Amino acid sequence: MPRSKDRKPKRRRQRDEPRRRKRIVHKFAEDDYVDYKDIALLRKFMSDRGKIRSRRVTGLSAKRQRQVAIAIKNAREMAMLPYMSTKQPSKQGSRQRR
Amino acid sequence: MRSYELTIIHRPDMAEADVQKQIAEVSATIDTSGSVTGSDFWGKRRFAYEIDHMNEGYYSVLDFEGDINLVEALDRALGLSDAVVRHKVLRRVDRES
Repeated sequence: MPRSKDRKPKRRRQRDEPRRRKRIVHKFAEDDYVDYKDIALLRKFMSDRGKIRSRRVTGLSAKRQRQVAIAIKNAREMAMLPYMSTKQPSKQGSRQRR
Repeated sequence: MRSYELTIIHRPDMAEADVQKQIAEVSATIDTSGSVTGSDFWGKRRFAYEIDHMNEGYYSVLDFEGDINLVEALDRALGLSDAVVRHKVLRRVDRES
């Protein structure tokens, strides 16, 4: 029996479903160290609220995602990145409730 | 000997010269049983969030080589120091041969 018949067929995209594209935000070198002091890089993997983006969104490998997540947490401890930040269009409006 | 990276945040109400003096002191401590391989002073930086009613601090980074006893001694001393807001020691496996 040919091998291909045993394989589960690939899930097909429905007609109205938008084409999903993995967002590769950053290309890392092979054995690149993820520095927690590199705030500009780490910001790319965070939402504007300060949350860590999921792997589904970042498109990183498991290892890389782990390194990035740990780096972000280290940077948070040193107050270089926020634990959470409420989205504010302007500084003046910060007291207003939505 | 292992490679480490030490980041220290000093209180913002200190004079910059005093901060430099403190860093020199830490470097001297490292040099007794290890070696400082690099140092970087960032100056005053805003915090991403408030720490003990402070909104900024002096950041500095020291790269050094040493053994566990040295790291433990540093960690203890920096934790007790009133001039230090926060500090972090990380091992840099990527710099070891």
